[in-house]
Amino acid sequence: MQQAPTRPCADPVRSADVSGAAAIHTEGLSKRYGRTVALDALDLTVRQGEVYGYLGPNGSGKTTTIRLLLGLHRPSAGRAELFGIDAWHDPVAAHRRAAYVAGEPFLWPSLTSDETFAFLANLRGGTDVAYRDVLIARFQLDTAKRVRALSKGNRQKVQLIAAFASRADLLVLDEPTGGLDPLMEVAFRETVVEAKERGQTVFLSSHILSEVEALCDRVGILRAGRLVDEGTLAELRHLSAQTIDVTFDGPAPSLDGLAGVRVAGAGANALRLEVSGNVGPVIAALAAHPVLALSSREPSLEEIFLHHYDGSKDSAGG
Amino acid sequence: MLAASGAVSARIDPASPSGAGIRPGRALVVRASRDSRVRTIAFGCLFALYSYIQPVGYRHAYPSLSDRLAFAHSFASNDALRLFYGYPYNALTISGYSAWRVGGTLTIFAAVWGVLAAVRALRAEEDAGRAELVLAGVLRRRTMYLSALAAIAIGMSILWLAELVGSVAGGLPTGGSAYFALATTSVVPVCVGVGAVASQLAPTRRVALQLASAVVGALFLLRVIADTASGAGWLRWLTPLGWAEELRPFAGAQPLVLLLPVLTSALLLAVAGRIAAGRDVGAGLIRVRDTAESNPRLLSSPAAQALRSDRGGLTVWLISVGGFAFILGMVSASISSAGISQSVRRELAKLGSGSIATPTGYLAFVFIFFILTVSLFVCAQIGAARREESEQRLETLLALPVSRSGWLGGRLLIAAGASGAISGVAGLLAWAGAASQGVSISLAHMLEAGANCIPVALLFLGIAALAHAAVPRASAGIAYAIVTVAFLWDLLGSILGVPKWVVELTPFQHVGLVPTQPFRVGAAAIMVAIGLLAAAAALAVFRRRDLIGE
Repeated sequence: MQQAPTRPCADPVRSADVSGAAAIHTEGLSKRYGRTVALDALDLTVRQGEVYGYLGPNGSGKTTTIRLLLGLHRPSAGRAELFGIDAWHDPVAAHRRAAYVAGEPFLWPSLTSDETFAFLANLRGGTDVAYRDVLIARFQLDTAKRVRALSKGNRQKVQLIAAFASRADLLVLDEPTGGLDPLMEVAFRETVVEAKERGQTVFLSSHILSEVEALCDRVGILRAGRLVDEGTLAELRHLSAQTIDVTFDGPAPSLDGLAGVRVAGAGANALRLEVSGNVGPVIAALAAHPVLALSSREPSLEEIFLHHYDGSKDSAGG
Repeated sequence: MLAASGAVSARIDPASPSGAGIRPGRALVVRASRDSRVRTIAFGCLFALYSYIQPVGYRHAYPSLSDRLAFAHSFASNDALRLFYGYPYNALTISGYSAWRVGGTLTIFAAVWGVLAAVRALRAEEDAGRAELVLAGVLRRRTMYLSALAAIAIGMSILWLAELVGSVAGGLPTGGSAYFALATTSVVPVCVGVGAVASQLAPTRRVALQLASAVVGALFLLRVIADTASGAGWLRWLTPLGWAEELRPFAGAQPLVLLLPVLTSALLLAVAGRIAAGRDVGAGLIRVRDTAESNPRLLSSPAAQALRSDRGGLTVWLISVGGFAFILGMVSASISSAGISQSVRRELAKLGSGSIATPTGYLAFVFIFFILTVSLFVCAQIGAARREESEQRLETLLALPVSRSGWLGGRLLIAAGASGAISGVAGLLAWAGAASQGVSISLAHMLEAGANCIPVALLFLGIAALAHAAVPRASAGIAYAIVTVAFLWDLLGSILGVPKWVVELTPFQHVGLVPTQPFRVGAAAIMVAIGLLAAAAALAVFRRRDLIGE
């Protein structure tokens, strides 16, 4: 039964893409359902070997994006390519290089996990059986159980193991850790890091910010069907304001008129400043005052995310 | 603490949450009725239409008393026809004839409706995980169970009303029609009881449906034997389909018989309610093993896997169609032409019944019903394909290197192959049944009669596939509706004498009554060609649309 051959893509020569096409590339990718605009002119490029975090609140269009990337739904405008192959017009060729983990595990209730693995491997034309066994042990899955008898978290493990064991060049993961316990979350992160080390590309749609912060090279933030920010974590932080808390010996001075500085909060003798860009002018201005304590920190991904989500409600809508 | 709870109740009064006045039980009844409205309306239309056609058609075909006497003495006492229409107590009057023809057929549909409604309300909801959500609220299990039954009772009343309206519109007296419709729908609560018990035993919708259908099939078989075999009339008292006959609408009514379905259904529903109150939600009394030895067979492609998961259902189809064909074959031995005049035969032809006065003619006639059965089977296959999509397993498949055409094409091939197998089994076992009673009929002819089912089935398969591609949410409903209307079209059109070209729109007009008539190669080729065209169009349309969940 364990006859499925190891995929040749483990071979480093083949896994390097000759054409150098991006793992994911979309241009003006849009989707409307009736009057609802689910995705609005998405331009996205995920390079090979990258772990890309796709962030957005519920209903922002993450799953729609993935359905378009996989050619399950038809774009209303624009196009999506995986490794230079059009996802709508040639889905089979595109899927040979991609594996997908859905947010909800929709499997065949009467098959056992073992049979599910065999079935999915047959449809793909092979899988890395040895690595699959490693993953089964890592995720502590009882493979003799029928899918019907598995909890949601365990069904999610079946999907994850099947996808990672395929050693596909691109892993498309749609909120893959919903239902996993913290121990399995650790196993998941370990597996993503392994995939990255092998040069696989990972597209991770999530709203678990700590997961994205820990794993991803680049992050895109989606809001109401539009990509509102994109970049490495460092870039996102750079573009966002740093927070500086200052305590004074005496009443807090007014720091109005300094470029790029916003007073986010004020106490009797304390200020919270949000500084965009260079902090030099702020420090120079503060030097003229009796500063007791000063602390600064970079924004967390959560703050960046909330900033995008809360801060631009007025421009929302499609 | 008191103050705190007071503050809460000031904001949200627990006695009247929003949606004030609606009790949770009633909300469930409304929900369940809405969920099943399409099916109930479809069956209601069938009940009204069918109970309207028969009195009108009878009046049309047998205008005088002497015609009716001749008819009653020949056709109505024919063993073979009783198989489908039941025992005729009074075929001389329009109302008696209608009660025989309509009641006999519609009780079968009423039984099917009852089983579907019960399994849908009492197991499918649980299978889908929704019952858990409801029970996690303030509802007691008893309330949920009774709400489900109340919704079914509403549906049953609609069927009753539909038959009443159809009969009265067809010219039957109102009071008698009300009792007549009551006799037909008396089958429903018993079959709901069967479905309810099956839903407690089986852990999944599919197994519950198979269990309940097997029981109802056996009850139908009992009626068939009671109505056709001599000396077996007492068996009629063992089946709700027989009770409906013994109620004798328009033929010396015996309303006391109603006690039988009332008591039986009360007993079955009480047993089911008792089990429902004591078992784990989501489980059935039949435990399925949670683990299994890995079995790698039939996992090579989506089609192979579909065959693997459908094989239980396919076996049930093969056994029940084969069993029926065998019994019909046996019954055919009792058919003789004695006492049927030429004029009556001509009239019979108007009923779409052809020449049925010989064993061969009879088998040729009953194979029309096998054509219908195999056509309904392909609708069920398209329903299964649609369920794979609506339950989103198709997304899992199509995210792999699996093409849409490959998936749908594979399912169509399975449906075509299985309908061929069912047709073949029908022909083979009808021959075996006939041969076992010494009827001289060739195996080749009966296999040809079986094969005669296939072109129509392929035509409907193509159309159903196109419905799946173009209007996915309504696909199975459209497919079943087209087959049913096409079947009744034949009866309706040939009775009412509408223009020929209108009648000939249905494929049932173009099948030869094999083996009495030759297999119509030309018509078969055209049907297969249309089926293939529709299937090709289905593949093309399906390739261009979004996958659509529930």
